[in-house]
Amino acid sequence: MTGIQTLKIGVSGVRGIVGQSLTPQLIVGFAEAFGTYLGGGVVVIGRDPRPSGEMVANALVGGLLSTGCSVIDIGVCPTPTLQHAVVDLGADGGVAITASHHPSEWNALKFCREDGVFLNAYQAEELLNVYHQGAFAQRPYDALGRVGADEGAINRHLSRVLEATDQAAIARLAPKVVIDSVNGAGADCAEGLLQKMGCEVIAINDVPNGRFPRDPEPIPANLGQLCDAVREHGADIGFGQDADGDRLSVVSEEGIAIGEEYTLAFAAEVMAERDCPGPLVTNLSTSRMIDEVAARHGREVLRAKVGEVNVVETMIAEGAVGGGEGNGGVIDPTLRFCRDNLAAMALILQGMAWRGCTISEWAGSFAPSAIMKEKLECPAGRTQRAILALIRHYEGQRLDLTEGVKVLSEDGSWMHARPSNTEPILRVIAEADDCESARRLCDEALAVARQAIG
Amino acid sequence: MNALSGYNTSGKPLKITIAGVRGIVGETLTPELLVNFSQAFGTYAGPGRVLVSRDTRVSGRMVEPCVCSGLTATGCEVVRLGVVPTPALQLAVRQSDAIGGVAITAGHNDARWNALKFCREDGIYLNDKQAEELLNVYHQKEFTKAAWDKLPPVGSDEFAGDCHLEAIKQQIDVDAIRAAGLKVAIDCANGACSKFTPRFLADLGCEVVAINDDPDLPFPHEPLPTPPNLSQLRALVAAAKADVGFAHDADGDRLGIVTETGEAPGEEYTLCLAAEMVLGRGDPGPVVTNLSTTMAIDDIARKYGRKVIRAGVGQVFIAESALNYEAAIAGEGSGGIVFPRINYAHDSIAALAHILNLVVERRQPLSTLVAEVPKYTIVKREIVCPPQRAYTVLEELRRGLEAPWAEAVDLDDGIKLIGSDRWVHIRVSMTEPRIRVIAEASAEGLAMDLADDYARLVERSM
Repeated sequence: MTGIQTLKIGVSGVRGIVGQSLTPQLIVGFAEAFGTYLGGGVVVIGRDPRPSGEMVANALVGGLLSTGCSVIDIGVCPTPTLQHAVVDLGADGGVAITASHHPSEWNALKFCREDGVFLNAYQAEELLNVYHQGAFAQRPYDALGRVGADEGAINRHLSRVLEATDQAAIARLAPKVVIDSVNGAGADCAEGLLQKMGCEVIAINDVPNGRFPRDPEPIPANLGQLCDAVREHGADIGFGQDADGDRLSVVSEEGIAIGEEYTLAFAAEVMAERDCPGPLVTNLSTSRMIDEVAARHGREVLRAKVGEVNVVETMIAEGAVGGGEGNGGVIDPTLRFCRDNLAAMALILQGMAWRGCTISEWAGSFAPSAIMKEKLECPAGRTQRAILALIRHYEGQRLDLTEGVKVLSEDGSWMHARPSNTEPILRVIAEADDCESARRLCDEALAVARQAIG
Repeated sequence: MNALSGYNTSGKPLKITIAGVRGIVGETLTPELLVNFSQAFGTYAGPGRVLVSRDTRVSGRMVEPCVCSGLTATGCEVVRLGVVPTPALQLAVRQSDAIGGVAITAGHNDARWNALKFCREDGIYLNDKQAEELLNVYHQKEFTKAAWDKLPPVGSDEFAGDCHLEAIKQQIDVDAIRAAGLKVAIDCANGACSKFTPRFLADLGCEVVAINDDPDLPFPHEPLPTPPNLSQLRALVAAAKADVGFAHDADGDRLGIVTETGEAPGEEYTLCLAAEMVLGRGDPGPVVTNLSTTMAIDDIARKYGRKVIRAGVGQVFIAESALNYEAAIAGEGSGGIVFPRINYAHDSIAALAHILNLVVERRQPLSTLVAEVPKYTIVKREIVCPPQRAYTVLEELRRGLEAPWAEAVDLDDGIKLIGSDRWVHIRVSMTEPRIRVIAEASAEGLAMDLADDYARLVERSM
């Protein structure tokens, strides 16, 4: 029964626990569904270094080939590298084998389309329909796809980030950087990037073996070792990665994990300083620090639903100058439309170099703010009841109903409640001037939701 | 065996038998089926190391990752041997600490087909009892699921093919063959031997004229070394004035021969000539063959004072009997020969090496050696029969059977009627929806009549 509880099939892909729910049968089924959905063509696959990745990759390759798709396997790489490669290789789609910030026993398939962007909600639903119908394209022996490899994807990704970066400025600063890659996909290339940019690099948890020494989600609670290392080495900054290189967190030179919300604030500021038009795009649950950035640089902020693809599609539609999500995902539209830790590190270091300030000084340039992230277990069938109760509760206040309910106050504080895309929970996030106020906002919403769920 | 054999209920071409699981790619041999069977095998045989090989059919590239994934998911450590002859896989399993092997090959079936064949830790295919156990695991679908940190990485071994060639060389008179400098024509059917046999022959000092030796090209003809598929090789032998011509099947277990006169005497001669070599040099032990193989082998064995033991048709029965009876040689009239000193597997490269050795040692042209084999005529007939009816048909036939000429009846595998100068064997094919009638007699007309008579009887009892 655990097998059923640990399997998530949804718009963000298919995720399960290896040895329980994520079986070869499930993977070949989804691979065939994706191949059928694409109608053939070339699919690029890449994986994070979890030990189960090879098993998953093999099943994926078999399923894709049987539908007539050819496969280019780029091996172990960060998810953004895969997204770059899909575009670089002119492929018709891509599959990232990664359970992102989830622990080692999980793995997942994430599907992306020919522009390197993940399937949006409509497309994911189409894919799920194909999967559930089970009538997959079965090609005869002489129409099966072929498998190829491409070992240049990581280097192309690195080069593109380097070219877009003021390397000279960073080299002059020669910052001492501690990087904690959680033994994930981003270990080698992050270290390589930092060295090439002229940083003095201290790497911890830098063996890409998929055996995570800490919870891979880069939130302050998981970055104790990184904070210690920054203090011990007297480093200028610490970077904490997730397992697949698409979420980044910053530790200040004081050894304080300042929180993953700052990653986007810093990076967005550097992108906003660019001499080209366009708004900043983020999601509804991201810190208001990005509004400060926008105000400083005369930009507008657009807020999409939570999820990389939603932010990306808004960025493309609106010609954004920069974007990302408050969970530490930075999207630089001059590179590719994907959350990318390499881009994030390059932007932040470049920003430090140009400003000639420490990272904590830069963080201090934002108005004091505290963000609380809570969750409430909520059966899938009850989430809408909770949302409706919240809308009624906050009636008369300024509401944004794009996704769930977001309440905006005059003093700049806000609360956002929404059902999770991936788990049977209601997420409640609030931001205010201080912890206590943010906590109060969360508690108020949680109480209403709890009562509605019953 | 009734329950194990037969097409699936929808009438689609899928065969799940003791010989493995065989289907048409794009129809029945789906990734789901492949991962399920691989997990069943991993559950049945594992944990431990499992070697995986494939022949050259293009669908092998799709089948192989499915097999690797399924095996890995059960915690087995997969080592890929790539494209090698199946006997090379079987030898590698036997010589290593592997607990089993999976050969991805549909043998002599055409390119639309592919199959999984499972072998155990001694390199012999699963026997009927073991295959039934595997099928039980498959049908129960309760596979071992290894935890995330118990999934070994997939390894590869590029030397299994060369080790196999080396093992063969140790059993033949390499110096004599080198000194003879024979000219050998070879048709590899673009199969698994393409990268090995031409090199092997060159190493034996032969002048090699090879055709269909590109593993990336499709099968040029049905990959079965029977005379109808050997016209290209016969022309090549004649044009190149070769001393001998050899033809492989797709995965290197069966061998066909062509004499220096450009004639293809038939794959029954492969066993007879190989037996001449092995018995003539004095390897101890009896000869093991199957019920459908020529009586000429009895005459050859008698010449060397050996017994012939008749086992069921199929590689596993031959291999197990060869092991149990400590045979000098074993093999089938289909051209698959087992050399117990090397391996308990049908091995076409080993057969080719021994026949070359025979030509060199006897200092006779191959056509003369063929002529010295006692002459019988084998005639084969096939009757299409729905698999769910096949055994009933045979059963009915058995009840009404009258054969005054028969001195013995063997019911081990279908019905075999044995006389002093003739025999008829009626059996259900393991791989196709057919009943086969095989008749042999010293006179061609008699063999024809026997085959036709009993084929008619089969048709009538349907």
